[in-house]
Amino acid sequence: MVNMDAYQVLTAVHIALIYAVLAVPLTLSYKTTKIINFVHINFITYGAYAAVLLYTFLGIDNVFVAIAAAFVIGGAMSVIDNVTVFEPLSRRGANVVILMIASMGLWIFYKYLMYSVLDVLSRVAKANLVSVLLRFETLPRVVVNGMPITSAFLTAAITAAVLALMLYFILEKTAVGKAIRAIADNPTLAEISGIPRGRVVNVMWFMAGGMAAVGGVLWAIFAIATPEVGDTLILQVFAIAVIGGLTSLSRTALGAFIIAFAENLGMAFLNQVFGVPTSFKPFITFSTLLIVIIAFPPLGAGGGLPYRFLRKRR
Amino acid sequence: MLPSFDVLGFLVSWGTFLGIYAILAVSLNLEVGLTGMANFGKVAFYGIGAYLAASLSVYAVLAVYHVAAAPYTTEGIIALGKYGGASPALDLGIFAASLVLGFIIAGCVGYLLTYPTLRVGPAFLGITLLAFGELLRIFLLNYQPLGASKGLSGIPHPFLWIPDPVLRERLYVLVVLGFLAVTLWFAERITNSPFGRVLKAVRDDEVAALCMGKHVPRVKATVLFIGSGMAGVAGVLLAFYMSSVNPNMFVPAVTFNIWAMVILGGMGNNKGAVVGAAIITFVDRILTFITPNLGITIITPDYVRWMIVGILIVLVLMFMPGGLVPEKPIKTPAWEAVESLEKESKEGGSGGDEA
Repeated sequence: MVNMDAYQVLTAVHIALIYAVLAVPLTLSYKTTKIINFVHINFITYGAYAAVLLYTFLGIDNVFVAIAAAFVIGGAMSVIDNVTVFEPLSRRGANVVILMIASMGLWIFYKYLMYSVLDVLSRVAKANLVSVLLRFETLPRVVVNGMPITSAFLTAAITAAVLALMLYFILEKTAVGKAIRAIADNPTLAEISGIPRGRVVNVMWFMAGGMAAVGGVLWAIFAIATPEVGDTLILQVFAIAVIGGLTSLSRTALGAFIIAFAENLGMAFLNQVFGVPTSFKPFITFSTLLIVIIAFPPLGAGGGLPYRFLRKRR
Repeated sequence: MLPSFDVLGFLVSWGTFLGIYAILAVSLNLEVGLTGMANFGKVAFYGIGAYLAASLSVYAVLAVYHVAAAPYTTEGIIALGKYGGASPALDLGIFAASLVLGFIIAGCVGYLLTYPTLRVGPAFLGITLLAFGELLRIFLLNYQPLGASKGLSGIPHPFLWIPDPVLRERLYVLVVLGFLAVTLWFAERITNSPFGRVLKAVRDDEVAALCMGKHVPRVKATVLFIGSGMAGVAGVLLAFYMSSVNPNMFVPAVTFNIWAMVILGGMGNNKGAVVGAAIITFVDRILTFITPNLGITIITPDYVRWMIVGILIVLVLMFMPGGLVPEKPIKTPAWEAVESLEKESKEGGSGGDEA
């Protein structure tokens, strides 16, 4: 049998928490607007770079300042996208595919905008900004039962918990949250009953973009910040959201744990028993995605086809 | 000082890229413009074609000449350079075999991928195919027999036995454009056939098509087979033109380039796809000639180019949804009869819509 030591489990939990922070907003935004938003990838990158630039230019090494800045930047980007592109397109009656392509165009634009800005800034700062190792030590390193728990882990755990509570409180207890859920259920009916759809959707986009950007910061202080950081996480984030059926936030969070454990512990197992090289990790993610789509169609079938599974979507 | 500009050389290099990308754009147009399947993993099938051609040709040449070295080692590449142009029959045979196998294998992969993905909506199809493309690239980056991150080089050009490299290039551009013509003809035939009208029906209303007795999943799978096969052929043509392949040629950005071509040209129109491909490859070729003369710039020109592609997609979708060459109604015999009747009688009333 393989020895799964506590450290590996802890790393998997850490990654799962970050994945949850990254994937839950994707589900939230799809559920509300039916847009598969590829700009989500940019929110992650821009969030990570909010932390990097704050540190490089202003010397701020407080992780919570970085998280707040990332939340505002991601949220602002996301609202701007909605107001300038998604809203006019969907008002004109564009279908899912057109909206998806528009978001893809924005993704490319933002990605290379980031590269261009970094070109200029690296020259100004005379520093390498293309791959940055950030290690903020705002929170102390704790040792529990002889297990060192890093500052990054504590930050991720606290942030994820705060975000989860915030999301729960906003969606369940406030009028805006109820409006968001109403729009997700039936946009036309929501509008007829007097919900200002445009504004409510903007609030939702602000939360979704902000959360994704915060996930970017959490990833940057755990791994490494590069302009490709969002692109490298795309497979995982979308796989997790699909496991959640792109409809259920709690199932998405569950999906984050499934993918993170399959990737890390599953890979360690395959590596030790069968000698599979660890660079094949994405294959585990992809096969998990395929298995979920094939085995549990209703889970993956948010907006799926009627001729196979006539099961009521909740 | 501007270097002297070789117009014919430019046209040859533009023509080759135009041919390859236009095949891809036409195949993507079949999938997205006609059938409404968001294929974000086009690059995967392109890559399958290219890697198939590359591995088939290098391993075949080494096997025929009994070279023990692996093709990704220095000895292997030297041997490939030595034996590559030795036999016209071998070079042409490999080229033909790669084209056929490239079509079949890429097509079959596309067909198989529809099994899990067709049970979910169009959005998920896009995500799954995008993920598949990235997965393939990661596999190629790590799989040693296919050269891992360095890729394979020394792929024998099908006309390597012709001593004059300029003539070789010119012959090859004719071959590529010939394939483009065949692809375009085939795509036009599909578009104007009853099957093409089924595709448009599936695109416009899947449930309605289903109720009319069309087997929607099978239709989609067939289209993905054809489209992926065409992309495979384009990949084969690319591999022989570049004479080397490496995993970083098949990043998702390539897919977006093809999407930009289809959207710019106008979705649902095969000629539009070719027009879009012509414009974007023309700009690209011009840029590759200009960029080295710019010297050091603050922002890498490539980034600016990609930003423009991204914003172009959004702007065309928002302000010119039809693209440059908007979709036209299909000329069925019934449609033509109605048109001629209208011309004769000059009466009001719209023609019967087939789809």
